[in-house]
Amino acid sequence: MDILTLLHRDIKWRFHNAFTIVITILQPMLWLVLYSAVAGQSMKGIGIANYTAFVLPGLIVLVSFGACSSSGIMNYLMKADGSFYRILIAPVKRSSIVLGQVLEAVVCTFIEVIIMCIVSLFFSVTIATGFTGVFLIALLVFLTAFFISGLTYAISLCLPNEVIYETVMNAIVLPIFFLSTALFPADGLYGGLKIAINLNPFTHVINVLRALILQGNIVVRDVVFVVLLLVVMCGISFSWALHRLKKETAL
Amino acid sequence: MTAICVNDLVKKYKNGVQALDGLTLTVKEGEIFSLLGQNGAGKSTLINVLTTYLRPTSGNVTMFGKNAYREAAEIRSKISCVAQRTSIDTHLSLKENMIFQSKLYKVPKSESGKRMEMLISCFGLEKYLKYPVSSYSGGVKRRLDIALNLMSNPKVLFLDEPTVGMDIQSRMVMWDMVKKIRNDFGTTIFLTTHYLEEADQLSDTICIMKNGKEVIQGSPKALREYLRQDMLKISFSVKKDAENCFGPLKEAIALKESDLRHDKIITSLKNGRSDLEKTTRWLLEHGIPFLGIEIVQPTLEDVFISLTGENGKEAS
Repeated sequence: MDILTLLHRDIKWRFHNAFTIVITILQPMLWLVLYSAVAGQSMKGIGIANYTAFVLPGLIVLVSFGACSSSGIMNYLMKADGSFYRILIAPVKRSSIVLGQVLEAVVCTFIEVIIMCIVSLFFSVTIATGFTGVFLIALLVFLTAFFISGLTYAISLCLPNEVIYETVMNAIVLPIFFLSTALFPADGLYGGLKIAINLNPFTHVINVLRALILQGNIVVRDVVFVVLLLVVMCGISFSWALHRLKKETAL
Repeated sequence: MTAICVNDLVKKYKNGVQALDGLTLTVKEGEIFSLLGQNGAGKSTLINVLTTYLRPTSGNVTMFGKNAYREAAEIRSKISCVAQRTSIDTHLSLKENMIFQSKLYKVPKSESGKRMEMLISCFGLEKYLKYPVSSYSGGVKRRLDIALNLMSNPKVLFLDEPTVGMDIQSRMVMWDMVKKIRNDFGTTIFLTTHYLEEADQLSDTICIMKNGKEVIQGSPKALREYLRQDMLKISFSVKKDAENCFGPLKEAIALKESDLRHDKIITSLKNGRSDLEKTTRWLLEHGIPFLGIEIVQPTLEDVFISLTGENGKEAS
């Protein structure tokens, strides 16, 4: 009940500050529309028929980072206007406070992912695995957004102000994005670069999302591995966020 | 019945700052309790501990018989706090803010609707309903902040410097409001303030704090009587005259730095009328222009300055 109350309030904040949706979707949308059109021509040479469909999973992860990062900003705004303190002294569980805000970021991510998918339709992107694939993609998007949102929540409570927070988030997001299979297949890579890309958990998320979009068959083992990986990561990020929130009152 | 009982409370921050140093105080149910102290005396830290936001280093805080830290969840549903800065969500409307607060405190829907209408009327907020909260003036935001904190019908309402930055008219309206909350709802009010006049006007009990501990606690009348000493007041037409006179007069009669107060010198009488005669003679002999000299009863300000000054009393 508390979670829904806080979620409802946070969603209201998001729609009141609708520009945060526009800003966070702008860059992935430019990648989707412009970059995929430009790079698509050269990618045909290496066997990628629809580069927009190929790049969409990476952009789903990128858009999740954008939406969830702005959720971390909410902590700074709430601290500035005093409502952060008011909620902490209300009879509400700390876990509900974190969960309400994390779920708001998940809702925002879904809105942005749906917009991206609708735009992708104009570039002949379809989900090869049908309804089951759509369900699994939704599950992966939920877990990815939940993990990132927990992470950004914790980071925002570690850093003193939103300027440093934004700088740190940029320093995290771009290397993660480029050191993954978001833009190129990793088949031809070798050495340290390949190890780094394989150590990036988002590489595996992107690969499974890509397989669900492009290939007709679902490789259960890969899906289960990524779901379990994300569940563990969600547990860690949520626990860290909760720990940081509790530390707010242990000055 | 006792609403709040604080015993030997210590709060030392992790950065080494000791904000509370063995503070002990008692707040009775249904009273207006004012906490006075200079900047850095530990007032805000005390409010943060009492509202369960901060964990005390040691000592004991009980509210209505429950330990404020170990039974924080139960305490939280009984208290509410209006912080120094208003804490309204500007992206929500006036009614949405109040509904959100009632949901946080799990007030039944049927009850919250009635209570909201009553509080809107009680705090004169009807005419602001159709405007966005972000457009409200500071005074209206403060009224809304107090109204929404009363949505849960708290047993104790904490007001952290509720009138800071307000003009005198708004402050007087706020004083009426605080009295009304206590009288109409029976709420115990715990407020911190810098304004001695405010504490004098409103409080049933005043506690003066210094360096993280209580110096004295009692009714305004009892505190005024604490000095048991008449004061000598010399009035000047301008502040500069008072300053010019202060140095030489200091050598003639014992004065403390805190005795110079704007365009007046106010000091405690050590030797009754003979001090008055001696000072008057000295002023006339030195041709110092002054408006008047008189013996006055000590005010709350005198008590405050006397207790919180360099040589003021420390709690034993």
